[in-house]
Amino acid sequence: MVDIRVEDIVVVDNLHKTYGKNVIAVDGISFKVKKGEIFGFLGPNGAGKSTTIKILTTLLGKTSGKATIDGLDIDADQVKVRRIIGYSSQEVGVDDDLTARENLMLQCSFHHIPTEKAKTKVNELLQTIRLSEAADRRLKTFSGGMRKRLDLASSLVSDPKILFLDEPTTGLDPQSRQDIWEYIVKLNREGMTIFLTTQYMEEADRLANRLCIVDQGKIVSEGTPAELKAQVGADKITLRFKMDDHEGCEKAKDLMSKLQGIEAVGKCGDGIAAENGLTIMTKNGSALVTQVVRALDGAGINVEQLNLSAPTLDEVFLKLTGKTLNVVERKQTTGGWGRRRR
Amino acid sequence: MGKKETIKMIEMLSEIAAIFSRWNKKLLRQPILIFFNLIQPLVWFLLFTQAFSAIGNIPSFKLLTGTSSYITFFTAAVIIQTIASSALNTGLGLVNDFDSGFMDKMRVAPINKSSILFGRLFSSALTTVLQVAIILAIGLVLGVNIASGIVGAIVIFLLAALFGIAWSGISLFVALNTKNAETTLSVGLLTTFPLLFLSASVMPIGLLPSWVQQVANVNPFTYISEAFQSLIINGLVWQKIEYALIAIFIVGVLSLGASILLFRRKVS
Repeated sequence: MVDIRVEDIVVVDNLHKTYGKNVIAVDGISFKVKKGEIFGFLGPNGAGKSTTIKILTTLLGKTSGKATIDGLDIDADQVKVRRIIGYSSQEVGVDDDLTARENLMLQCSFHHIPTEKAKTKVNELLQTIRLSEAADRRLKTFSGGMRKRLDLASSLVSDPKILFLDEPTTGLDPQSRQDIWEYIVKLNREGMTIFLTTQYMEEADRLANRLCIVDQGKIVSEGTPAELKAQVGADKITLRFKMDDHEGCEKAKDLMSKLQGIEAVGKCGDGIAAENGLTIMTKNGSALVTQVVRALDGAGINVEQLNLSAPTLDEVFLKLTGKTLNVVERKQTTGGWGRRRR
Repeated sequence: MGKKETIKMIEMLSEIAAIFSRWNKKLLRQPILIFFNLIQPLVWFLLFTQAFSAIGNIPSFKLLTGTSSYITFFTAAVIIQTIASSALNTGLGLVNDFDSGFMDKMRVAPINKSSILFGRLFSSALTTVLQVAIILAIGLVLGVNIASGIVGAIVIFLLAALFGIAWSGISLFVALNTKNAETTLSVGLLTTFPLLFLSASVMPIGLLPSWVQQVANVNPFTYISEAFQSLIINGLVWQKIEYALIAIFIVGVLSLGASILLFRRKVS
């Protein structure tokens, strides 16, 4: 039995979805989303993210398992579930022949909001998404970012208890992505629970309070971004010295070994080929950097460069699945001039 | 009817109204679409009737139809073509909604799923009536007078709207099944022409070869076109209108029933 707590708004237990006889899209996943958090589903294309979100938003039937949203069963209480959720699909479900205002008003009528109340609500939303001026223009003239903002707003007309976002920034330019992120964070601060899927590490890292890493229909790991990164290991501080300053490097090495909170200190010149560098591993890099700098300064050691790098979710994904996310597809020229031989 | 049912009913009507007006707005913003579907029927109206005007001179033609003007007789076929062409678009509109993600947006809202179909169907019916009005106006210019007068014209609009809704069901069914524009389009086009020629729309049934007559007798196009023909040529002949209504009812129950069932099943 699943232990359901009041603060859990989404409870998913052993969910399966099979297409046809042997295409397994979701392969027995279980998780809980707490009220008020941003919960992320991170994984590559085909991991089962969209299928899961479609099942939870009642758009798709499940093969087996159980899922409830705010205590309502997604099958038995379908209509009630629809009243309390908002959903924004990957495809951006807005009507290009209508204006921004008309799109929102239409959504209001789908939620049976009386006209006067709807008008006020729509004006508020247009203001929030900074589309008041473009409100009465048809969407044909809108940019990708404007359409996505409108799409998000249109899933908010009914003040849902939870918002489902399927890859909210896929295909957007960096500025629009930033806008959407800010909007999502703002909504969350105002108390909205958000479930989002993404294939971007950066997005999951920036937005999610907790996240599941999914691959091939299964959850491979779950936790806060920090917890997941901690699975991979420690932060890394790299120091670089002048090429001929071997003495400085050795001195620094001794000094670092005495600092508290250091997990390991490398050898001089290790890791960074042909350069005079030193690597220090620690659980808490950002807190330690000042100490490192002070100690070096106090000993009169000159440092050319200092780098602090945290483990990324990319590394987590690589460690868990043996694959990298967001592989940039390179177009291979078959035969002819472009071909490389090894 | 209990209070709960009444509220549900009112909610559903408002949903249908919202979706109906959405489609009307879309159409008004691309008025070219109203004429796009009319191109083919119009080409037929203008060319076919010229090339085949001699059919009207066949001695038994007037006996069977009540007119020796082929274009007058053929007006019914043009109206049916217009209805079929418009019906085709009903499904295409839905395919568009599936592609754009708008369908999911509607489906995730707490509305009655049938509202999505009815809103679309009623808007198509309105488009059909507008198109039929254009055809009748062009017919007037070409010398086609409606024997049943204004009342008859209204009956023609009503029959066109109803048959448009019933015939749209087929296009909806294909669209919901395939979610593919090409298939929806080709099924629509491929059914319209054979059915038109295997009915009493192009030629009075008495002049058709016997095997075609047999097909024509079970072809709904026959009953619809005979109703239009009698309204245009003879006046108000209630029996023909009744037959047309029965044919519309049968087509409608089958096509819309299947579409609604399929839509509900696919959704849940």
